[in-house]
Amino acid sequence: MFKNYFTIALRNIKRHRSHSVINIAGLAIALAATIVIFLVLQHEYSYDTYHKNADRIYQVIKKDVSPTETGFQVGVPFPATRALRQDFPQVTFGELYKSFGSQLTVMKDPNTISSRRFIEESGVFFADPEIFSIFDVKWMAGSAAVLKEPGKLVLAKSIAEKYFGTWQSAMDGYLKIDNNILVQVAGIIEDVPSNSDFPFAVIPSYKTFESNQQYFNYGEQINDWGLSTSDHQVYALLPENMKAASIDANLETFSRKYYRMESATKTSHFLQPLKNIHFDTRLENNGDHISNKTSLNTLALIGVLIVLMACINFINLSTALAAKRGKEVGIRKVMGSSKTQLRTQVLFETGLIVLFAGMTAVLLAWLALPYLRYIADIQQQLTLINTGSILFLVITLVVTTILAGFYPSLILSSFQPVEAIKNKINNTRVGGLSLRRVLVVLQFAFSQLLIIATIIAVGQMNFIRTADIGFDKEAVLLLQGNNDSTSLARQAAFKSDLLKLPAVKSVSFTMDPPSSLNSWTTNFAFNNNTEDLPFSLYLKTGDEHYAGTFGMNLLAGRFYTTADSARKVVINETLMQKVGIKEPSEAIGKTIRIGAGKFREIVGVVRDFKNNSLRDGIQPTAIISYPAFYSLTAIKLKSNNLGKSGEAIQQVWDKHYPEYAAETRFLDESINEFYQQEERLSRLYKVYATLAIIISCLGLYGLVSFMAVQKNKEVGIRKVLGASVGSIVYLFSKEFTVLILIAFALAAPAGWYLMNNWLQNFTYRIDIGAWVFILAVLASVIIAWLTVGYKAISAATANPVKSLKSE
Amino acid sequence: MIKLKNITKWVNNGNNRVFLLKDINLQFNEGEFISIMGPSGSGKSTLLNVIGMIDDADEGEYHFLDQAVHEMKEKQRALLYKQHIGFVFQAYHLIDELTVYENIETPLLYQNIKSSDRKAMVADMLDRFNIVGKKDLFPNQLSGGQQQLVGIARALIGAPTVILADEPTGNLNSKQGEEIMELFRELNEKDGVTIIQVTHSEKNAAYGNRIIHLLDGRVDHHAMEQYTKTV
Repeated sequence: MFKNYFTIALRNIKRHRSHSVINIAGLAIALAATIVIFLVLQHEYSYDTYHKNADRIYQVIKKDVSPTETGFQVGVPFPATRALRQDFPQVTFGELYKSFGSQLTVMKDPNTISSRRFIEESGVFFADPEIFSIFDVKWMAGSAAVLKEPGKLVLAKSIAEKYFGTWQSAMDGYLKIDNNILVQVAGIIEDVPSNSDFPFAVIPSYKTFESNQQYFNYGEQINDWGLSTSDHQVYALLPENMKAASIDANLETFSRKYYRMESATKTSHFLQPLKNIHFDTRLENNGDHISNKTSLNTLALIGVLIVLMACINFINLSTALAAKRGKEVGIRKVMGSSKTQLRTQVLFETGLIVLFAGMTAVLLAWLALPYLRYIADIQQQLTLINTGSILFLVITLVVTTILAGFYPSLILSSFQPVEAIKNKINNTRVGGLSLRRVLVVLQFAFSQLLIIATIIAVGQMNFIRTADIGFDKEAVLLLQGNNDSTSLARQAAFKSDLLKLPAVKSVSFTMDPPSSLNSWTTNFAFNNNTEDLPFSLYLKTGDEHYAGTFGMNLLAGRFYTTADSARKVVINETLMQKVGIKEPSEAIGKTIRIGAGKFREIVGVVRDFKNNSLRDGIQPTAIISYPAFYSLTAIKLKSNNLGKSGEAIQQVWDKHYPEYAAETRFLDESINEFYQQEERLSRLYKVYATLAIIISCLGLYGLVSFMAVQKNKEVGIRKVLGASVGSIVYLFSKEFTVLILIAFALAAPAGWYLMNNWLQNFTYRIDIGAWVFILAVLASVIIAWLTVGYKAISAATANPVKSLKSE
Repeated sequence: MIKLKNITKWVNNGNNRVFLLKDINLQFNEGEFISIMGPSGSGKSTLLNVIGMIDDADEGEYHFLDQAVHEMKEKQRALLYKQHIGFVFQAYHLIDELTVYENIETPLLYQNIKSSDRKAMVADMLDRFNIVGKKDLFPNQLSGGQQQLVGIARALIGAPTVILADEPTGNLNSKQGEEIMELFRELNEKDGVTIIQVTHSEKNAAYGNRIIHLLDGRVDHHAMEQYTKTV
């Protein structure tokens, strides 16, 4: 029986070749898109699930509540670890200090450096042994116990091989961290899986950090409960059957015990489950990205909708084709087939087409996967075939078969044999055009929704890219160095050599460019008041050439100079307004106390510049000089074209910092990186809008070719009565234009609502103009006309004698 | 074997009821060869479809082998039908996508017959009609007469008690038509298959041993008397 189904299914697929191609192509595209989406979701939701105690692992989070804002931080004060261990003896706590941008120099022996130096993107994690009682790693040599001592380090296998050739020879080898801290390799672990926010690769012991804290600019204040940095993190492994909520309750008491409670800001702690770390956009994590669950859900929804669109195509085409297959159904009924048997046959046939589509989809997905990094946050290559994806594919294929095949099977099997045989099956009997119209409207509504979303997303991205950021980001080269005392001591000589280069306009030493994702905030007081103001002050630090190098605009006063930089401060417009001053000139001469320091005099007010990405507003900011933090050299070039001066700058660097690797990047590039996620999102919209348009065009094409057959006689009669080709083409296009307009009435409000919400993520955003919607509807009408046009013209130019004769 | 009592069928055309069949009372016995004649639109095919259970009457009683078909549910009827009735059409109605072999095999699929048995039965049938060499051809590769042979082979494969033939030679030339009629006669005489055919041609009607005349959905007794007289 099934062999017969199989044979006839194959022959039907071949016979109605164009329909089959449309069906298979549409389904394959949709399924491939869905497979890719599934892989993305699978990957995102798999982060750190491989730890065997994953459901008992938590991160200790710090929460600061001030009268005006609530802030969350992954950074925990240094003395907190010991206090936590004391007060919660039943919980295992582990602490780590991470250092990004640290340079690792491979040592020939403890006293001789080699020229092999590296900066690992994943960072350096100083960890105590407890970290590895909490997180699972596979030890190839050594054990967590080696991290009990200072001066020891554990490497991931690939890093060990990169530095020492083989991981075996790496054991007992020496590295120097930031040219200061000598460590010996005492353990090797297997590389951490890519779906982890804990990219442990270079792991010196936490004791190493403690005994070398001066190199990280920590002095006595390291024991202060008021100091915290996101680099110092504490993790907890709860015993079985212990609820995080009970610890959270006790953490309140804990916080009251250790924090000064008289301050306006109340600090407390809570436990963040490991499974939330990858998705909590309030916090930062140690991996390469944080995923937004809403975006992921939107993605899943798009996947489902795309498959539904392809199913709609399938239903439309199959029911349209049903009229042609009426005879076969009639004969089968006369031969004794039951309705169930006919339905099974149709479903089987659908299943076969879906299976072909599925195989094509796997191939398409395989071809598409390497390009995933351009539209998703995932930078690793994902594997297409795994248990989850196979299961997903099987389920999707079955569901798709049922979705796409069930309705056509009902229609076909319900034919009356007598009528079917006499070819009396017409449109009204195969579900009518009305159902198909509804389905086409849904398809078009969805593709227009995506078109609207794409136009708005792309518009917003362009807006951000070209927006005025308040300073000149062009032609500024950034060299990331170090701020240890040796580096700082050589800065003056380095600078004077740089300024000798013809391409260099000016040089400034700083910690941060004006726009960066780092933020440094502090409490502050204004104009000799003893009381702190109830909001935080954002700090930027740079030497006296900071404003010049970054092309900032002074509204009043001047920038500080070499002579007075330690006592003066420059503020931005927002800060000026927030402290109640209207005219920039009035601010000059007022004073500000930053943190617990001395009052500094305001010598200048700069025009507002974007501190962070344009998602956030401009913060009240002060620019001060703080030479101990100057690890970054900003070089303003005379033109954006680096050319040979790049080499010259590198030579100057090597002359002054032979033992340091230089990390070079252009400011405008690093600013563009802020918007990578949005950039990818708008690319994603483009891709899926295109897919949706292709799928709905395939459906439209199928439908119109069916209509052409259907209207054969009508067209013939009209032509005999003297209709022109144009009027016949109009006959076909009229209907679809109306359908598109109805779809537009659905898509426009939905698109406006969704994208208006999305734009709320940005402080600086475009207005959604009417032109967006006009463009969307015009685009889909034109695309539809092009799709319909060919079939309509060929129907209109056909010889009427032929079509009338066949009736 | 077949008893029709007051069989009536109509369609509503606006406010008018048009009768396709009106008060048909007929009885056919096993082993008969019946020809149904009448002008176009007289209800011949409709009557045949009602007898063949692929169409329902609106009124009247239909007994097939003493079972009340008009009271049966669709499933029971399908069962009865599968066992006893074979159809032959004017336009052959072979499935275009299936080969000769597969077309003949199709009814067996719906009777749940084992694959090996099916093979033997189809082989017998191909043999009997001398079309073994054509078994892998598709319908459009055959002449009309050959297609009708396949149609008959398909009708016979389930060993039906009755063959219903709706103008079986209507699309054939006279020579091919004659061959088909000879075949029907042979089936009737040698195998004892009951045959009910609808035909336009007096010549073909004469193959039967009884002729029913229809006119406007009624049995035309007058024409039948006339006919008997002329014969």
